[in-house]
Amino acid sequence: MQTVLHARPSFAHLRVRLDPGETLIAESGAMASMSGHTLLTARWNGGFINALVRRYLGGESLFINEVSCPAGSSSPAEIIITQPTPGDIMELKLQGTSMCLQKGAFIAATTGVVLGVAWAGFASWIGGEGLFRLKVSGNGSVWFGGYGAIVSRDIQDELVVDSGHLIAYEPTVSLSARLAGGIFSSFFSGEGLVTRVRGPGRVFLQTRALQGLASWTNGFLG
Amino acid sequence: MQIELLCQPASAVARLTLDAGEAVTCEIGAMIAMSPQITVTTTGRSRGGKGGLLAGVKRMFSGENWFLNHFQAGQAGAQLVIGPTMLGDILHHRLRGGSLIVQGSSWLASSGSIELDTSFPGLGKAIFSGEAVFWLKCTGEGDLLLNSFGAIYPVDVDGEYVVDTGHIVAFEDTLTWSVGKAAPSLLGSLLGGEGLVCRFSGRGRLWCQSHNPPAFGAALGPLLRPRSA
Repeated sequence: MQTVLHARPSFAHLRVRLDPGETLIAESGAMASMSGHTLLTARWNGGFINALVRRYLGGESLFINEVSCPAGSSSPAEIIITQPTPGDIMELKLQGTSMCLQKGAFIAATTGVVLGVAWAGFASWIGGEGLFRLKVSGNGSVWFGGYGAIVSRDIQDELVVDSGHLIAYEPTVSLSARLAGGIFSSFFSGEGLVTRVRGPGRVFLQTRALQGLASWTNGFLG
Repeated sequence: MQIELLCQPASAVARLTLDAGEAVTCEIGAMIAMSPQITVTTTGRSRGGKGGLLAGVKRMFSGENWFLNHFQAGQAGAQLVIGPTMLGDILHHRLRGGSLIVQGSSWLASSGSIELDTSFPGLGKAIFSGEAVFWLKCTGEGDLLLNSFGAIYPVDVDGEYVVDTGHIVAFEDTLTWSVGKAAPSLLGSLLGGEGLVCRFSGRGRLWCQSHNPPAFGAALGPLLRPRSA
């Protein structure tokens, strides 16, 4: 399998070349175009119960696609994978490690990666991110994306982030929801609730948030 | 005509330098800036092409405007800067005979020598392809500028190739296409979120856009408040 990320960071998309017999897991609806002999198979997003939990308590898709080049094909299959929003995509190599992904960040993974579900806690729920979260683990590559560019920070103690900007974090990181300041400044500063992340561990932030674009646009809707 | 593409891919614009008397036809609203020696005429028909009321109606159904703007240079060296509405890239294609079929909203501008016509792909394709009802057919010799939401990538098709609806920019008319399922079963296609796709076959070049405007709209839409009547 060969993978290349193109047009980073504004319109990142993933070009994958699968040899006969190889398979990739992709988010529902993420395929933009593909060779004619590529096979798509929809399956429950990590088992029936897990899929239901993730869909209704975590806001993820109910189904995901297995994209494969059928064994015995005479040529490799080429697939372009993308995300709904303009922005960057990053590849993460898991070696027995795991990573938590926020709602909608997951794009694709190799077959050695397990898509699990983990309790996210009430802080995540209050921040509008769902009670459960997607936890990817195992061995292989995961691609995740965001709106805007993606920056990573290694956190030793604590970092305060706006809740819409956090897209991925290591499971060693714990989250808690806070008011940005006092009651007054939280309400009027435009920051409202923020997420306090406590390390050690790595977090990934997107430099734009769709909620920001939406509230800006809402101001123009009569 | 000299064409320079600037600020690619996220905020692409095209700077055209025209010869004396040379004309270019643009999508309504595409002009950002121009030299004062350029005159603009707005018509419901493409220059020299079949026009009139019906052409305008068909163009509206192809996701374009009823009217077209024609920019003509009064003297050599006059410049025109044009750009699309959305964030995205511009593709410059030199048409040397033959025809290019362009997804309605992807057309930005073309030389006055190129004839623009609308093509109707058939009722089934019009309803199920997820693209505009009519497509623009560009024929002749000259320059063509197309725009996209996201980056543009070319695909040289030899055999069969599948494009999800909403990702087509343009294709050479040596290719034929049909609307089909993404997966072997219709249920699988729908559950996998791909639904119906366009299957191209033959030999020729196809251009796709990396991002899909309806998918972005579906992500943003639920966050917007309803408009009061």
